[in-house]
Amino acid sequence: MERFIDRLIEEFDQGKLSRREFCETMAVATAVLAAGGAAANAAPQRGFTMLGVNHLSYSCPDYRLARDFYRDVFGMQVLNDKGTGRANLAFGPAPDNGGNFMVVHNPGNNPQPPTEGYVDHICFTVANWNEPQIKADLAAQGLTQRSRGGNGTMRVLDPFDFDIQFGNHIAENINEP
Amino acid sequence: MKAFVASKLDEYRMGKISRRKLLESLTVAAAATAATGGAQAAPAPNRALKAALVNHISYQCPDFHRVADWYSRVFNMEQVTYPSEPTQIGMPFGRRNQKPLGVTADDVPTSYIVVRTRNPNGTAADVGASARPRSRATIEHIGYTVADFNRDQARAQLQALGVQNIRDGGLYSLHMTDPFGYDIQLSGVANNAITDGA
Repeated sequence: MERFIDRLIEEFDQGKLSRREFCETMAVATAVLAAGGAAANAAPQRGFTMLGVNHLSYSCPDYRLARDFYRDVFGMQVLNDKGTGRANLAFGPAPDNGGNFMVVHNPGNNPQPPTEGYVDHICFTVANWNEPQIKADLAAQGLTQRSRGGNGTMRVLDPFDFDIQFGNHIAENINEP
Repeated sequence: MKAFVASKLDEYRMGKISRRKLLESLTVAAAATAATGGAQAAPAPNRALKAALVNHISYQCPDFHRVADWYSRVFNMEQVTYPSEPTQIGMPFGRRNQKPLGVTADDVPTSYIVVRTRNPNGTAADVGASARPRSRATIEHIGYTVADFNRDQARAQLQALGVQNIRDGGLYSLHMTDPFGYDIQLSGVANNAITDGA
């Protein structure tokens, strides 16, 4: 923790962090410290215990388009967007307590070569499923022509034609395959 | 906590306390605050279409059995088969029917990865997938959260399991590749939307 705070002070001194950003980051880091302690206490003695997805690293030609799409369509919260070609998009529980995020970013100088394994789509859970209202939300975003499905699960193509599915706990549930 | 940090930062800016004193004050305050509880989740805006959690990640590869066994061996993950979908296996992050970390709602189930080997000449779903326009975006890697993450211990454990291409991902995570060269990142809750890229 001390090393993390030391780095924050350094960034503040260099003008990279504003007073407000410094205070917010400290508050969250403190919460993370608390959550980390709780997780550690709950861990078994050997082997990895999966808690969930941390993040998805999403590479695309223009991260700003992806950022705006996931913010506007799926209600994700934009964090750490410094205008340097990447941003975090938080959703779900609090970031320090099981929250997921997408890192949307431009390819950079060393894009990864294709691999034999790849992610062909991701699916988000939508709570309090209200299909007519969801369809109205999609229509309000002008996505009617890019979406398909129904009965608890739907799909939409994002601005880069990446396939995004979303559904409720009845249609998409590992507990009831 | 924010008010305290702001006041100490102001004292530092005005030269009333040294950098060392600022560092000590914030470190002690953070530890004390952490000992008394964590953060509160921000209230969600009222909208119908809002991502509550990753439901699943669909992973394509030449041999789904091989990658499923890798996940089970390395991350202790359970395998769930689908009678109607013989070329895929689902693997929940955590135990089935267990609430995901931080989730209280009853309609947000456990996240999972489904590993599959799709036949382009196979089912309607297979054909539908292959008919979609080619995406110009890729999920370059997936990050997973594990309990009690310690980078050095995790590295040793992964090495003992024969995991390939293990490398540091900053101070708080490790990267590795799965049997098909796909990049996987591992971290604890300290790596999150606030701290990553901050």
